[in-house]
Amino acid sequence: MKTNFALLLALALNAVVLAQNPTPLVTKTPDQLIAVLKSDAGLKEKSDACRELAVVGGKDAVPVLAGLLADEKLSHMARYALETIPDPSVDAALRDALGKLKGRPLVGVIGSIGVRRNAQALDLLVAKLSDDDADVAQAAARTLGRIGTPEAADALMNAAANSDAGNLLAFCEGLGRCVDALAAAGKTDQALTICDHYDDSQLPQQVRVAALRGAILLRGKDGLPLLKESLENPEYVLFAAAIRTSQEMPGADVTKLLADELAALDADHQIVLLSTLSQRADASSLPAIFTKAKNGDKPVRLAAIRALPAFNSPDSVPVLVALMHDPDRDLARAAQESLASLACPEADSAVVKLLGSADTQEQLTGVELVSRRRMTACVPDLLKAAGDADDQVRPAALKTVGELASPDDLPAVLILVQTGKTDEDRDAAAQAASALCAKTDQPTRCVPKIAGLLPSAQPAAKQSLLNILGTIGGPEALTAIRAAVSDDNPQVRATAIRLLGSWKTADAAPALLDLAQNAKDPADKLVSLQSYLQLASDTEIAADQRLAMCRQAAGLVQRVEEKKLLLSVLGGIASPDSLAMITPHLTDAETKDEAAAAVVSVAGKLLKNGADAQTAGKLVEPLQQAGQAAANPDLAKQAQTLLDQAQAKAGAK
Amino acid sequence: MSPRKSLSAATAAAQNASARSAALNRRQFLRRAAIAGGAFTVPLIVPGRVLGLNGAVPPSEKIVMGGIGIGNRGSDDLRWMLPEPDVIFVADCDPQRSRREAVKRIVDAKYGNTDFKLYSDTREFLATRPDIDAVLSTTGDRLHALMATWAMRAGKDVYSEKPSAMTIAEGQMVVETARRYGRVYQTGTQRLSEANFVFAIELAKSGRLGKVHTAYAHIAPWDAAAMRHDWLAGQPELPKSECDWDQWLGPCPWRPYNAEYCRGGWRGFYDFHTSCIGEWGAHTFAQAQAGLDLLDTSPVAYEYVDNPTGDGMVTHFASGVKMILSRGDKYWHGSCGMRFDGPEGWVSVADGYSRPEVSNPRLLDDFNKIVGDYMARTQRPMSHVRNFFDCIKSRRLTVAHPVVMHRTMSTVHAANICMWLKRDLKYDPVKEEFVNDAEANRLRSRAMRAPYMF
Repeated sequence: MKTNFALLLALALNAVVLAQNPTPLVTKTPDQLIAVLKSDAGLKEKSDACRELAVVGGKDAVPVLAGLLADEKLSHMARYALETIPDPSVDAALRDALGKLKGRPLVGVIGSIGVRRNAQALDLLVAKLSDDDADVAQAAARTLGRIGTPEAADALMNAAANSDAGNLLAFCEGLGRCVDALAAAGKTDQALTICDHYDDSQLPQQVRVAALRGAILLRGKDGLPLLKESLENPEYVLFAAAIRTSQEMPGADVTKLLADELAALDADHQIVLLSTLSQRADASSLPAIFTKAKNGDKPVRLAAIRALPAFNSPDSVPVLVALMHDPDRDLARAAQESLASLACPEADSAVVKLLGSADTQEQLTGVELVSRRRMTACVPDLLKAAGDADDQVRPAALKTVGELASPDDLPAVLILVQTGKTDEDRDAAAQAASALCAKTDQPTRCVPKIAGLLPSAQPAAKQSLLNILGTIGGPEALTAIRAAVSDDNPQVRATAIRLLGSWKTADAAPALLDLAQNAKDPADKLVSLQSYLQLASDTEIAADQRLAMCRQAAGLVQRVEEKKLLLSVLGGIASPDSLAMITPHLTDAETKDEAAAAVVSVAGKLLKNGADAQTAGKLVEPLQQAGQAAANPDLAKQAQTLLDQAQAKAGAK
Repeated sequence: MSPRKSLSAATAAAQNASARSAALNRRQFLRRAAIAGGAFTVPLIVPGRVLGLNGAVPPSEKIVMGGIGIGNRGSDDLRWMLPEPDVIFVADCDPQRSRREAVKRIVDAKYGNTDFKLYSDTREFLATRPDIDAVLSTTGDRLHALMATWAMRAGKDVYSEKPSAMTIAEGQMVVETARRYGRVYQTGTQRLSEANFVFAIELAKSGRLGKVHTAYAHIAPWDAAAMRHDWLAGQPELPKSECDWDQWLGPCPWRPYNAEYCRGGWRGFYDFHTSCIGEWGAHTFAQAQAGLDLLDTSPVAYEYVDNPTGDGMVTHFASGVKMILSRGDKYWHGSCGMRFDGPEGWVSVADGYSRPEVSNPRLLDDFNKIVGDYMARTQRPMSHVRNFFDCIKSRRLTVAHPVVMHRTMSTVHAANICMWLKRDLKYDPVKEEFVNDAEANRLRSRAMRAPYMF
């Protein structure tokens, strides 16, 4: 999810504040810090001293820090410093405090003993396991777990019997920590004893999950029967725990066990098993997965099909190809997706076979897979398919040619442009050709080859070739298109004029203007004028150049539609000169609304760009006229608002 | 009979007298537990499946979600999760009344009822809602690791916003807890599940750029690496029902209440925040380390840079690959950018790109193939929350699982410590300690305030 803008803004504003007071981590020497603690300094100063002593404090600081452990307000910060001081006197001080403190300070000290894993505190901690304060007893249990010695584990196990029920999870956490520590120390048997001890259906699920995990993993190979029984346990939580645990267990025997279970369990269990088998990607489980992919409940079949890409096995290919013919579209689609992701030559061969199929749907699937798999070696097959009898296959193949072919394939594609059976074929071929030209370092070098085909091309093909030239651009392409406006065929001429109107630079303007002025066919004249104005609306072209084009066009504009188009273009040019061309139209009933909108647009841009007083003065009269002319109340209101701004700015002179 | 009652001979022999006596006591213990009552009592007799599933959800069933500390950012996550068809939110817990009530309004409006429940005390919330399978935890940085740990201990799977740990020790505890209880955990580095970022990562791993030698990772353009240690002026605390300040502070050192902290003004403070490096590094270090295929480790060396932010810090992995922290938009244009450089090309991406930038446009030709293959191979969708929900059901590791979080946040913490100590550091990612630098090692953890402890 994107960080939302409001949050970023808030954070940025915060930064202004937050950047004010960063301070160094350590500002004083240890002696100075100790002196602060011994002084009558305030809570803030003493807290800061503790924080800095956590980094630089040594043995000398321990007595004064220990003295603060009973201080309700500073006890935490005293521990903050003590926890990290690498001196055994800290451990002694913390142990000493155990017998003197109550409440939160005591809970904190117990926690710090755990962080420091001070086994010498064991007996003192055991005594706290039965403390009336639940927080104290729970902290002691967790800390004994951190200490994690066999003695700590025994103490926890025994004390659990006499503890309050509300402390159960803390005791279990402590024992879980002991299991880890014992296992790490090679004391697997004792760790296992704890895990097996907590195999009880009356316990919270997370405790049972933890115990089961330990019981399986700690047994190594001997844990497989327990894994199997847990997978078959009617309680879903134990199945889920077993599945999760199996993911920590490498080995073919584990895979076999999981795969064997597929046959016996219900749909939900099978789906989870299949996902785990996919993660293991052990090919020995493939036969079981294939079976599930072919038959059974649809969700299970989908899970089986989607499990296969991770294996990347050629053995999956025939299975998936067959499944692509499944009458259930979801299954067929899933099989296609899985096949698409297999990176093996067998999958390539299967796709090529589809591409060459006599069946249209198979061919289309083949084309889609060739595209998805980026099978560039299939370009010849695609070119062949581009000449296929089927109306769907040809454009699909050509589209993929554009994606995969290299510029070397351009001549073959240009032939298809010329020989295309339908407009759709030719368009697809032209788009493919354009894509191939774009893949070259200098697409304009393709122009002679394409332009050279124009004289002999049929009108329909000629239009497609011109379209390719239009996408390439450049002077040579412009020349070819310019020449095509004299073509005998009116559709070719229209295409050429349209391309000139959408040209990427102003270079096409003279040709369009000439056509708008001199074309023999009135329709060509009109289209040329419209295209000329369209070109003039291109904001990539300099404003003064666009304004000059508008002046040229103004003399040719006759119909209301072109007047409105001209006003639209002028409205996009932020210049007082464009206003001068717009204002005469404010008195024309047929164009006054468009003219008013154009005035508002130009004035708005100029004022927003920081128009000076003189420029603002030039806006006053047009805006007054626009406000009066506008039939739309909102437009009139905008004009008035801008007028107020312009007058204020002009008056400031 | 459980096989654990018919253990192998060797194991059975190892069950000592101590364990046998404890077994008897266990029965007594459980019996008392069963009859105990009260708000903080864990329901022991009723299996989770009866009340809800509590972290074990079959594929065909709905995931019951709760929220912890959902504020501005969390509301984005919530709105992202609510439309998922197999998810239902039932409760939220927050020490601030205004925030929890805002969450209720969102959820009630979505479901068209008023069933959504509110809690102010996290321990009560976790102990009394065994029906909740998973939680969305979006507190401030200071509480992410503790809330995740507590929730996982209560049997919940966890989606935690980033930065998900304040210290290296906190990250270790999240890893340890998730592993122990078999919990599914996802840290909110959502770009690991966005197509543009996945493409760049997979491209870097593919070898198409040659052997990548340098990754660049974006750090936030606000705040500094140096932190504030001051206190805002104290204000009278609000009633606990309005804002439980003690809970808000959680494990952090006490300081007087000031409403500004609760409005998001905690950023920049040492006690609450992981600096400009953690703010975005939590995302971008994960992205960069993913592309370098080094998500299970951290850099071994950090070069101090004499500027306020860490901009330009070079970190070195054991393999010789570098990751460089970058604050500006030199290598990208947008937020949370990353870039990979190899001898044969580069790829760069940040938020807002239609497609990644590449040294050669031809590298983008395979965009759909690379992303599609990744999704098919890993079964990870291009939706971070969906990946979390899928993994709740499959029990597989998420894309941003605890080790990913911990290792990349360790990089954040080490870079911060490098800046705070103003010197180069060496780090041993196996031992998870700095080499020959006692002061740096003392910054790997911070004592937690009772009772907000691991």
